[in-house]
Amino acid sequence: MADEKPDVARLVDEAAKALGLPIAPEYRANVILNYERSLMIARPLLEVDLDDDLMSGPVFRP
Amino acid sequence: MSVPAMSDPLSKSATATEIAHAIAGGKVKAAAVIDATLQRIAASEPTINAFTDIVAERAIRRAAEIDAGKHRGPLMGVPFAVKNLFDIEGLPTRAGSKINVDGPKAVRDGALVRRLEDAGAILVGGLNMGEYAYDFTGENSHYGPSRNPRDTTRMSGGSSGGSGAAVAAGEVPLALGSDTNGSIRVPSSLCGLFGLKPTYGRLSRAGSFPFVDSFDHLGPIARSTEDLALSFDAMQGWDPDDPVCTDRPAEPTLPRLGEGIDGLRVAIAGDYFTRGGEPEAFEAVATVAKALGATRTVVLPEAAAARAAAYVITAIEGGQVHLPRLRTRPQDFDPDTRERFMAGVLLPGAWYVKAQRFRRHYRANVLKVFEEADIVLAPATPCTAPNLGQVMMKLGGVDLPVRANLGLFTQPISFIGLPVVVAPLQRPGGLPIGVQIIAKPYNEQAALRVAAFLEKQGVAAAPPA
Repeated sequence: MADEKPDVARLVDEAAKALGLPIAPEYRANVILNYERSLMIARPLLEVDLDDDLMSGPVFRP
Repeated sequence: MSVPAMSDPLSKSATATEIAHAIAGGKVKAAAVIDATLQRIAASEPTINAFTDIVAERAIRRAAEIDAGKHRGPLMGVPFAVKNLFDIEGLPTRAGSKINVDGPKAVRDGALVRRLEDAGAILVGGLNMGEYAYDFTGENSHYGPSRNPRDTTRMSGGSSGGSGAAVAAGEVPLALGSDTNGSIRVPSSLCGLFGLKPTYGRLSRAGSFPFVDSFDHLGPIARSTEDLALSFDAMQGWDPDDPVCTDRPAEPTLPRLGEGIDGLRVAIAGDYFTRGGEPEAFEAVATVAKALGATRTVVLPEAAAARAAAYVITAIEGGQVHLPRLRTRPQDFDPDTRERFMAGVLLPGAWYVKAQRFRRHYRANVLKVFEEADIVLAPATPCTAPNLGQVMMKLGGVDLPVRANLGLFTQPISFIGLPVVVAPLQRPGGLPIGVQIIAKPYNEQAALRVAAFLEKQGVAAAPPA
């Protein structure tokens, strides 16, 4: 369900563990707040449909 | 049109061009200019707080060399300062942080510092900035905020806050900043100055501390369009040390700066760029459009998604750059950046890839708009300078965080690397605000010509220092 709200606190905790990023208790609430803010700001991007053959434009030159 | 009177080259309102002409013409010594500059900085800093490092001995030595006949060039004797994410030989590259001060000292100046000095300019110091450039406010918990010289209870804008504040206070006529999502354009708007964010890849970023490789740009802030063009021309050219630096030949903009706007098709950005701001932001665009005779509106399609994609790429790339420091020294970050970097590094990789793919899609659609217009006008900031310490602001009747939203109108433009000049409008009895003059890639010249026209007409101007 696209509209089902994720458990952001758990997501942050688990992703931080997977990445090896310790988040001190005093920072945790604000990390969660910023993650929630990101979910909101990213929404217009996530709603866009892109063609399968659309490639990004990397600059890397071998 | 009368020719404006030349400022005293020793005064705080003198432009880079005026200083260089005065020195080249033997009317004043570079040593006297540097002496006056250092005195002004000492007098202003207790209130403005634009500088974190002053390289007085180096500047005095270089001025003496110039007076002895060395280092001739179009910027001869012009004092300038750089956001402290530029390498300055012998100093740690702070990038607004406390952490980097413990790192190595730069062994060489950044590429653009070298290019300006090759053209005769004189570096006088490093400038305050939001930590690691993740900022639109100019505030910094380690070094204090750079204050807006128009009203020192207000934000300078960021993250090139010291760059805007130093030029607006008349400490230096020219400063370099960086702009990832708006960090040259926001302080230019809030401090009432001309700023140039060139095309992505146009100016070398070698020897600067990165924030978001995909969008990082460097460029000048000044009191006149002539100074933007003069410094931009001196900094152009391929640099193998920056992998995205273009190998297109330099295209000098100064010779054509005064050609006016004949033949340029100017349009106004509609839709996204007409809402979510305070009335003064849109009034400024209307004033500029009227002066240019622009009536046509164009839509940059999916600008809201572009802003979202810019946000996602910024959060993830920025977070990734700082991951080692977030693991080992989180307590030494500015509290206003730390948790944003932490959240960013945890965002899904799928978002990042989609944002990068969308970037190419959006670029193609916006370039179609530029087949029908040479210049597009848009607000630079959604409001005038907020109060220092202000966390939330009301935009279009909605309460929004200041930090994330001062760049609402700049993010969808730098996202695809378009060149932009900010033209400042002084508002009698009010604070200044800027308008973005946006051109297609590599057409900085058109944007500069439009800004110069507005300056000549008296529509855009830097305030008296």
